[in-house]
Amino acid sequence: MALRRTFLALGGLAMGVLGTGATLKYYEEALPTSLNPLFADTMVDARAQELIFDRLWYRDAITNELSTRIVARHDVAEVGRAIKITLKEGIQWHDGTTMSAKDLCFTVRAMLDSRTPSVVAAAYQEFISGCEIQGPSVALIRFRKVLPNPRERLGFAILPASQFSSTSISPDLEFSARPIGTGPFKGVRARREVIFDAFNNSHHTPSLVQLQLREGGDPLLQIRSLEGAEVEGIIVVPPGSRADLRASDEVSLKSYDLRSWWYVAVNSNRAALADKRVRQALNLLIDRNQLREFAVGVQAGDRNSPCEFISGPFVQTSPFYNRSIPTVPTANRAKADALLKSAGLERVGGRWQFNGEPITLKVGMQANLNNEATDLLEQIGNQLGDAGFDRQTSKVSADEWNQEVVSGQSDFDLVIGKWSFGLVDAVNDLFHTNGRKNIFNYSDAATDALLDEYENAITDTEQKDAYHKLHALLAEDLPYLFLWKLDTKSGWRTEVRGNIITPYFYFTEIDAWKAD
Amino acid sequence: MKRWWLRPAVRIGAALSLPLIVPAIITWLIWALPGDPASLICPPSRCKGTEELAKRWNLHEGPGHYFQTWLDGALSLDFGRSWFVYMGMDLGKLLSESIPVTLALVALAMFWTGTGVVGAASGWISQRLDPLLQTVGMIPVLVIALVGAAVVDMKYGFGSSGQEGQMARLLIGSAVLGLADGAFTGAVTGTRGLFRREEKQRYVGVAILRGERVLSNTLPNVTPALMGQLRARMLHLLSGAVVVEVMLKINGVGEMLWLGTLEQDFGVVLPTATVFALASSTLLLMQACGEILVALHVRRSPRVEAA
Repeated sequence: MALRRTFLALGGLAMGVLGTGATLKYYEEALPTSLNPLFADTMVDARAQELIFDRLWYRDAITNELSTRIVARHDVAEVGRAIKITLKEGIQWHDGTTMSAKDLCFTVRAMLDSRTPSVVAAAYQEFISGCEIQGPSVALIRFRKVLPNPRERLGFAILPASQFSSTSISPDLEFSARPIGTGPFKGVRARREVIFDAFNNSHHTPSLVQLQLREGGDPLLQIRSLEGAEVEGIIVVPPGSRADLRASDEVSLKSYDLRSWWYVAVNSNRAALADKRVRQALNLLIDRNQLREFAVGVQAGDRNSPCEFISGPFVQTSPFYNRSIPTVPTANRAKADALLKSAGLERVGGRWQFNGEPITLKVGMQANLNNEATDLLEQIGNQLGDAGFDRQTSKVSADEWNQEVVSGQSDFDLVIGKWSFGLVDAVNDLFHTNGRKNIFNYSDAATDALLDEYENAITDTEQKDAYHKLHALLAEDLPYLFLWKLDTKSGWRTEVRGNIITPYFYFTEIDAWKAD
Repeated sequence: MKRWWLRPAVRIGAALSLPLIVPAIITWLIWALPGDPASLICPPSRCKGTEELAKRWNLHEGPGHYFQTWLDGALSLDFGRSWFVYMGMDLGKLLSESIPVTLALVALAMFWTGTGVVGAASGWISQRLDPLLQTVGMIPVLVIALVGAAVVDMKYGFGSSGQEGQMARLLIGSAVLGLADGAFTGAVTGTRGLFRREEKQRYVGVAILRGERVLSNTLPNVTPALMGQLRARMLHLLSGAVVVEVMLKINGVGEMLWLGTLEQDFGVVLPTATVFALASSTLLLMQACGEILVALHVRRSPRVEAA
C-alpha cells in the first residue's frame, strides 16, 4: 500500500516535471513565513499557500462566483446550521494518498482545537462548531448560528490528517516548510527560496513545470532582472518603477487587487480627537487627490485608475458599499475650520490648541506600506501641518504593528494602515467594542448594534442592510478616515500567457498559466 | 617560571566552560527582552493556544527550565526546529549546512591575515607600505560588504542565491573580512612589531654571531604571543563574519544568529551562539596546546656532545 502511494506521488510529480511546460522564476516581497495555511501571516504566505493547497471554496477570478475544485456536491442542512459536503473522488495528496472526508473533518477539528495557536483558525472558531464524518467522502460541518451563505465563509485550505499526530498543530512542525497539499504544485521552502514542482492531479493540470520564488530585495535590481529575462515576474512592482516597465514591450503590468482598503485610524480616546467634529474636520483637511497624485502617482481623472476613493469600510465593488455616501476627494479648509472651532479648538499663532494646550498629533504608518504609496506618511503629515497641527511622524515595524497597534496598545493619535479583507468583507473585528483588531479600542453602542445585526442576519439582504447602515454611521462618526482602495501592479514578461491574477490569492488560476 | 602550566590550565578551563556559559547567558539575556515568542505567533488578544505553544517551546517555566531542556537536547545533537526565521526547518540540518560555510569564510579570510603574518615575519611586506595598509584598513567592513553585495546582486541577479552566486559571495566576503577594519593591517604591523621586539634580545645577537638563523631562534619565544594574536584575530574574524554574512547574504551561522536574535527565535539563537562559543573554545585549546608545547620545548635539557 505504501509502495503504491509512493508510485502515485512520484507519478504525479513526474507527469508535472516531464511535461512540456516551463519554469517560472519570480520575485516576491519576502520569503513566506510558513507554508502551513493555519499560520498564514502575510500576503506572501497566502499567495504561496494558494499554489500548494485547495480551498474548499474560492471566488472565480473573472466572474467572482463562488467555485470549488474539490467539492462534488453540497447541501444546506439542519435548517441552515450545517452544510453537508460531498468531496470529489480521486483527488490525491502530494504524497500519493487520497483525500477523504477524514481530512476535511481533521482540518475543522484542528482549527477548533484551542491548542492550535492560529490566528487564522480563531476566525473560524467563531462560527464553526464541529464536523462529523458521514461517509468516505461525506462530511457535515456544523455552525454556531445560521449562516446566510455558508460557502462564502468556508474558504479554508484542507490539510492531510495523515501528516499530523494530533489536531493540535504547532507552527514549527516540518509541515510548515515541506507541506503536503492537493494543489497544483508541491512546495518546499529552502533558506533563500521556495521551489514549487508541478503535481498533476485529477482536478489540476498545470502547464508550468516549476515555479521558483525568491525575495526581491532592491527594486532597481528586480526591474533589471525582469527586463533582462532573468526572471519572468515580480509580484509587487514598486510605484516608482512602474513607468519604466510600462514603456517596455517585453513586460506587461497587470493589476493585482489586494482586496484591501487604506485608512487613517483615529484615536478617539485622546483629548480633542474624542469629539466627532474634530475627526470630521480632519477628514476634510486631508486632500485625497493630492495624496494620490504624490504618493501613488495617479492623477484625478486617470482612466483605469488602480486607486479608487472610498467613503466607508468597504470597496466600491462590494455589495456592502453604500453608494449614497459620497467620498471626499479634496480638502475643504473653511468647513474644517468651522468644525474645529465649534468643537472648542482655538487657533493661536496659526496652530490649533485644545484647552489652552497646543495639539501635537503622533502619526504612525506601517513601514512596508511605503513601498506601495511612497512618502504617504510625510504627505499626510505635511497636510496636517499646513492645516495648523503640529505632528510627529514615525514608521511602525511589522512586529510592533501586530503586537501593539492592532491589539490597541499603541500611543499614536493617528495610524495609517491597510485592511486586507481577504475572502469575506466582514469588518466586525475592526469596529466592534470586542473586536480583535480594534486599533484604538473604538466603542460605540450604535456601531455595536449594527455589527451584531450583521452577525445575526440570516439572509443576504439583512446583512447588506446592516452594513449599508454601518457605512453611513462610520462615515459620520469617523473612527477611521477612509482613504482608498489601491490595486498594486505585478510585472510579467510577455512570454507568460494566460496569467489571470486572482484578487488577493493571486495564483488561484495557475493551471491556465503558460510560458514559452 | 615554575608555574608555566597555570596560564594554559586557565585557558583549558575557560575553553571547557564557554560552551555552557555562553548559551546560559544568552538564555538569560533573551529572556530579559520584552515580548514573548509564543505571543508573537499567537497574540492572546487574537487567538487561543498561546499557553500551549509556550509549553511546547518550554517557555512556561522560566529561563532555567528552558536552558535545561535545550541542553538535554543539544547534548544528543537534537536542536529542534526553527520557530520563525526558518519556520519548520530542522535546525540540525541547517547548522550542518551553515557551519562549513562560515568556516570556509573565516578560513579564506585567514588566508589574507596569514599572508600578512608571513609577509611581516619574513620581511617581504615592506614597512614603507604601512601608511597605505593603514588607510585601507580604516574602511569599515560594513561599507565594503555593502559594495560587495551590490556587485554580486548586479552580476548574478536572480541567480545570486544559487551556487555560483553563493560562491561569489563567499569569495568577496572573505576578502572583505580579511582586509577591512584593519584585519590585514593589524596582522602585518602586529607581527612585525612582535618580531622586531624579540630581535633586539641579546640571545638573538649571540645566535647571529654563532651563524644561526634569526627566525629559528626567535620563533619559539614569540610563538605564545603569536598564537595569542592569532586567536584574537580569529575571534575578530568570527565576529566580523556575522556582519559580512548578513550584508552579503551568505548562508552561514552568523546570519542565522543575527536573524534569530532579531525575530526572538530562541531555537535558532542558542545553537548558533553555542557554535561561536565552541569556535572560541577551540581557539583557546589550540593556544593552550601551543603554550604547553613551547614550554616543554624550552624546558627540554639540551644534548651536550661529550668533549
